[in-house]
Amino acid sequence: MNETVDAIGVCIEKGKVNKSSSYPIDLQGQDGADELTLQALTQNIAPDEILKTCNDAMQRIGDKFGRNEVFVPELLMAAKAMNTVMVHLKPFFQAGSIKTKGKFIIGTVSGDLHDIGKNLVSMVVEGNGWEVIDLGVDVKTAKFLKAISDNPNSFVGLSALLTTTMANMASTVKEIKMEYPKTTVIVGGAPLSEESAKIMGADGYAADPQSAVLFLNRKIA
Amino acid sequence: MHIELSQFEIDENTFEVTINYSDIKFDKNDIGNTIGYSDGKLPPHFEEMIDQIITRFPKKCNINAGYRLLNLQHSTDRKDGLLIGNKFFQMDKIVTSQLKKANKAALFLCTIGNEMELWAKDLSQKGDSVLAYLVDIVASSAVESIADILHNRINQAASKLGLNVTNRYSPGYCNWSVAEQQKLFSLLPNNFCNISLSDSSLMKPIKSISGIIGIGTKVKFSQYICDRCGVNDCTHRVYLLSKANKANNIVL
Ligand code: B1M
Repeated sequence: MNETVDAIGVCIEKGKVNKSSSYPIDLQGQDGADELTLQALTQNIAPDEILKTCNDAMQRIGDKFGRNEVFVPELLMAAKAMNTVMVHLKPFFQAGSIKTKGKFIIGTVSGDLHDIGKNLVSMVVEGNGWEVIDLGVDVKTAKFLKAISDNPNSFVGLSALLTTTMANMASTVKEIKMEYPKTTVIVGGAPLSEESAKIMGADGYAADPQSAVLFLNRKIA
Repeated sequence: MHIELSQFEIDENTFEVTINYSDIKFDKNDIGNTIGYSDGKLPPHFEEMIDQIITRFPKKCNINAGYRLLNLQHSTDRKDGLLIGNKFFQMDKIVTSQLKKANKAALFLCTIGNEMELWAKDLSQKGDSVLAYLVDIVASSAVESIADILHNRINQAASKLGLNVTNRYSPGYCNWSVAEQQKLFSLLPNNFCNISLSDSSLMKPIKSISGIIGIGTKVKFSQYICDRCGVNDCTHRVYLLSKANKANNIVL
């Protein structure tokens, strides 16, 4: 494989965004995902080759996260580096020469204002090659339904932090499933569990952003 | 650790406690543990970011804390909770077993205000999710610390009267329904500590804590109580455990 492409993979895995970023220490002063992607494109390396390398790198950092070798900050740094690559690849996505994995609609459910957990999930899912449509916090069921109707075949993610708002989540899941039975709904947030997700009729539960990515990737495999 | 704090009686048996940001002792190991890193393993880059956040914290906080003392009694007909003031709180045994010997309860609230929350939101919107995440983590640690200090203050006030205090318990923990927040807030003055409660029992500002501390001659504080609870993945358990390990620094 091409050296530049390999180096992009390393930057993603290590969360090296661009030359001026001081993270990680061992890559200080070196080109980051930003510069290397531009170089690769100038060398006429196929965008899908770059994308594949990035996805593999995100997979590696995700695996490390799963083994508790790295934590949320490292995962976010990797996602940030990945998003930098995506900016350069955007024209190719728009031209249709490469494709995102799919659309992921996410929001914090009605009555709940927590957004940090939901934002982390958005960032990591996007970094893994999905187009994310973030509806924000305190999202009423009608808004989710409209987003699904505007974006056919999208996947939906709901977040909640309290058991009280988990009840609102359950009714949102129910209404989505009633109107769009084929839409995959995944839920997450501190008070959730596999069991509560099943009871409310969701297709999956994710304890953290990486589990959400694994679930989504499995759905399109 | 001895903290002198002033408190003002704003209403009968209702006190506002003055806590300064400088009373908070941030422990970077604890913050690192919350994220997942073991002691001393917080990567230097993130540690620097946390240092920067702590430096800016004084300008980003608006601390409010207070409590109301009420009578605590057993109900004659119900065993699944306790009567506090004129309200029956439905609680699990984990809580009632610790509070049952108390005859007074301090219902408390505390917050660091919403500046940190707004800062994290702004950073998230600008794409700096790592800093946003760390701001959120530091903010949570700060309000936990405020709750520790308030707990300490209530203990000091009680011991002047020859009374002891229990651990603190919050609706939403230890199988005590978070919806019971509604009763707790109904016993406190409106907008006490500048905290409001939504219909879904969410406090605003987000970085706020509510709860209850039992007071009496026969009650005692027990250092670590999570072994009585079944929520094994609760990160609060990690926090309490790490605090218990550093128990020598805690005066209650
Ligand atoms: C769609 O797919 C997906 C997939 C994954 C998804 C997802 C969607 N959405 C989220 N995820 C996941 O990925 C994210 C990144 O890893 C994660 O998102 P989070 O948003 O969960 O994570 C944040 C980035 C960091 N995590 C957090 O901020 C929460 C950590 C824990 C320990 C926690 C903390 C730190 C705090 N709290 Co408290 N708190 C707990 C939490 C226990 C736990 N195990 O998580 C929880 C959420 N709190 C709880 C409670 C009860 C409360 N808290 C309160 C207060 C606080 C602090 C202020 C001290 C502090 C900050 C709170 C905050 N919201 O910012 C109170 C409420 C505050 C309010 N504003 O109303 C209070 C009500 C207690 C009280 N009476 O004062 C519990 C809620 C359960 C319930 N019964 O409703 C709780 C689960 C603890 C417990 N009992 O185990 C995952 O959940």
